[in-house]
Amino acid sequence: MSEPLDIVILGGGTAGWMAAAALVSLIPQTRCRVRLIESEEIGIVGVGEATFPEIRNFNDAIGIDEAEMMRATKAAFKLGIQFVDWGFKGSRYIHPFGVHGPVGMDHIFHHRWLRARGLGLKSELQDYSFAAQAARDCRFELPQTRSTKIDSAYTYAYHFDAGLYAVYLRSLAEQRGVVRTEGKVNDVIQDPETGDIRSLLLESGETISGDFFIDCSGFRSLLLAKTLGVGWEDWSKWLPCDRAVAVPSERDELSPYTRSTAMEAGWRWRIPLQHRTGNGYVFSTSFIDEDQAAASLMRSLETEALAEPRMLKFQAGRRVLNWANNCVAIGLAGGFLEPLESTSIYLIQVAIMHLVQLLPGRSIDPRLRDEFNRLIDLQYERIRDFLILHYKLTSREDAEIWRYCAAMDVPESLTRKIELFRHSAIIERYKDGLFPPTSWLSVFIGQGLLPEGYSPLADTMPGESLVAHMDAFRADMLDRVEEMRRHERFIDLYCAGEPAVAPMGSEMRL
Amino acid sequence: MTRRIQQVVIVGADAPAWMAAAAFQSSVGAAGVRVRVIELPTLIQRADVYSALPELAGFHNRIGLDEDLLFSLCKAVPVAGRRYSNWSGDAPPFILGYDRASPPAAGLGFTQLWIKGRQRGLRTDFENFSLASVAAKAGRVPTTAGSADLHAAFGCNLDAGAYSGLLRHFTIRGGVEAKAATIANVEIEGDRIIAIILNDGERVEADLFVDASGARAALMSHMPGAELESWREWLPCDRMLVASARGLKPLPAFSQISASRHGWVGLFPLQDRTAVVAAYDSRETSDQALLEDLPTLANMPIGGDAVVSDLNQGIRRRAWIGNCVAIGDSAFSLEPLDGAQLHIVHYCISQLMTLFPVEAGAFPDAQLYDRVIRRLAVNLRDFQLAHYKLNRCFDMSFWDGCRDASVPETLQRKLDIFTARGRVPLYDDETFQEQDWESLFIGHGLMPQSYDPRVDAIPEQEHIALVQARLNDVVGLVEGMAPVDDFIASVNAQQAPGAKAVG
Repeated sequence: MSEPLDIVILGGGTAGWMAAAALVSLIPQTRCRVRLIESEEIGIVGVGEATFPEIRNFNDAIGIDEAEMMRATKAAFKLGIQFVDWGFKGSRYIHPFGVHGPVGMDHIFHHRWLRARGLGLKSELQDYSFAAQAARDCRFELPQTRSTKIDSAYTYAYHFDAGLYAVYLRSLAEQRGVVRTEGKVNDVIQDPETGDIRSLLLESGETISGDFFIDCSGFRSLLLAKTLGVGWEDWSKWLPCDRAVAVPSERDELSPYTRSTAMEAGWRWRIPLQHRTGNGYVFSTSFIDEDQAAASLMRSLETEALAEPRMLKFQAGRRVLNWANNCVAIGLAGGFLEPLESTSIYLIQVAIMHLVQLLPGRSIDPRLRDEFNRLIDLQYERIRDFLILHYKLTSREDAEIWRYCAAMDVPESLTRKIELFRHSAIIERYKDGLFPPTSWLSVFIGQGLLPEGYSPLADTMPGESLVAHMDAFRADMLDRVEEMRRHERFIDLYCAGEPAVAPMGSEMRL
Repeated sequence: MTRRIQQVVIVGADAPAWMAAAAFQSSVGAAGVRVRVIELPTLIQRADVYSALPELAGFHNRIGLDEDLLFSLCKAVPVAGRRYSNWSGDAPPFILGYDRASPPAAGLGFTQLWIKGRQRGLRTDFENFSLASVAAKAGRVPTTAGSADLHAAFGCNLDAGAYSGLLRHFTIRGGVEAKAATIANVEIEGDRIIAIILNDGERVEADLFVDASGARAALMSHMPGAELESWREWLPCDRMLVASARGLKPLPAFSQISASRHGWVGLFPLQDRTAVVAAYDSRETSDQALLEDLPTLANMPIGGDAVVSDLNQGIRRRAWIGNCVAIGDSAFSLEPLDGAQLHIVHYCISQLMTLFPVEAGAFPDAQLYDRVIRRLAVNLRDFQLAHYKLNRCFDMSFWDGCRDASVPETLQRKLDIFTARGRVPLYDDETFQEQDWESLFIGHGLMPQSYDPRVDAIPEQEHIALVQARLNDVVGLVEGMAPVDDFIASVNAQQAPGAKAVG
């Protein structure tokens, strides 16, 4: 067998350590050796305290014990995202991690609900979502795996301290053979002919050479953008927010959902962890200045702040290529989408898993590179459209940003989805993309887009039986929800960390 | 909301028309939509066969048709796959089996383990790890019990006339109104059909017209913007011949598709005869010459019922225009190389059902239907095209041309990624899944240059054990399956004489 591939990861934030842990856990050292360079002087962004359920596949694949990981990262469970004041002032809905209605009926359920409303039914769509009901009640238990049961109709993710998650993965990765080097990069040496990266020159004078480089240097994109000159595709005309200000506050109620509240110039998150509550305000400097935004965030806190607010600058978009020459960018070095739907860690994960499967040899096979870029582009664009939907679908007129968003042109791929749903309550599916129809449904309905029509397939049952069926389902569901443990209690039993008076990390978290 | 659709008129004949009618009647029919069939003259010849993929069983289940009737009334033969021979020069034939997704081994796709094994000297061919292929070779019908991890299913070869007759009877008994007629005129205003005028002068109006008339596209061909885009640059066969030959004893559990000098010849076993289908390029051979060669190509005497017809492979620019929706061959046509003919009809009907218009006046769903059907068509075309592209029939001008021709980007990417890494990128609306593409590519001799690097994390002894275990599982399961003749006899014996007859 040929010599193993020498992989150098630049940057040790969430992206860097996730990549390092995955490569060393999944691929034997006869095939690749992994080094990671990071500097303690450079703060990490620590993307995403809130995650998407797909992260469980990642953790399972690299052999992470859930309860142990949750203890180490002060994690809590997450059943969805609650959106407050989105769409219109006073609105409140949950985008749940699970279907509406009985298992296996999600293709028709919302059509039936629409019909039943016409017959006088008062319940909201989310009243038929197991995950949304459990979330609203602050209850949690692990879902059943038997696929026809009411309480198998959901999945879950985590709220965790992304800094601690990186620390946890670092320890795992180092134990499994990743070599970490402390240092800052002074210079990047390229092959004069091909432009491929040959080595990194550190401030200490040490040279780290490699066959393949993973750029996890965050927004600086030191290798992909600065060295290889890969351009940026700007999406800020659709996603105008360009700042986040974040501050932790004392722990309060451990609700098993992220809360996102639409504000005067963006939106505010609330993420409950075991030891504190994460808060932040994502906003656009076109509509508010930094000081006002920070003040607005501090005013909104429900518990006492544990630190000074920190400011972060960004722009929505992605690198035109995420893999160029012998370098892949993972995380913020490759693109940025605001954390409205907790997709940052998902984008890291999906890039890592594609890279593992398409890992090149010493000479780069362009077929593998092109396929990686195609798959990543699909993911970015589909998430982008879903995020834009939240902004576009608003009838709020009380602030400039919402008037701008309601009037803006959106990508054609999104326009046609909105129009089809408006007319027929139909949602186009796709294979390579994060959000299933049920997610689109939650946002469409939650933000006030009630379709003009519904499928005639929902007309097959007499009206009274339909309403009776829906009532009976809901009663069963609520019975089961009430049997569940309180979320806090479940955490205590399953994965409580030491009672923490949390020292604040220096990093900013999204 | 404006007015609901009240009447759907299906114009067509044979299985596609009756499948559509049965599906609509059992769904929107229950919501009060009136379904009517204008039955055009049949396109079916006496020798015709439908070679159906296993998914057709799901359709029968949905409309409530007892599958046992296929064996007693439609001369059905259950098949576990299709055998392709002579496509790769002297290489032995291979079977594309009707496997369900193969369970992972050590958390990875089994194919990845096989590729590495092959590189290290494993001699067992890929198809020996396919439950369906092994069943097919053993002449057995894959009906696996629920406990097994490995799953395969059987498709059916059906006498086309008998199957269409069964569906027709079933549908009319279910309350669908039908009238045999031909179309004298189609009145169109803008992109809407106002009415169709039948040969007896009846004027038929409807909120939605479904064109299930096959390649003649009796309605669609009148619609503005429905031009046929030809795929002949990629799929060169433009003529098709069907005929009958004697039945096979014992019945094999596969259909066979052999490459010939100018196209291919398929043998589709039925209970009482073998349907012979040939597709060929008229630039390379004449109908007469082909018919003379046929007994040699099929390796059996050919009956006197041979009929030739044109093959116009391609897709209509749009499949849903105004209030007219095309399903099956009237939306796009492909040679029956991979048994997808009825599957296309089924898929179109399912999509139309999902996108069934909410009102009679406006059809924004049409654009989505167009996109879905085009993706389905392109994916299927690519699957068929791969047979041609990967042929290794050297020094034959027809085959050399196919091998040297460039293929569409969608297929080239699949070929590239499979060659580079043994993976097949799947797109939206694929009929054939990863295991099917893998079998196709490997069967035609395309060997991946590398495999998923995670495979190297499996210790060698464990790797060998996993491969051996899969082989044993396959053999063990096949031993428990019934031979084709026994299977048919036992299904037919369970049907008391007359008890299940339709009517």
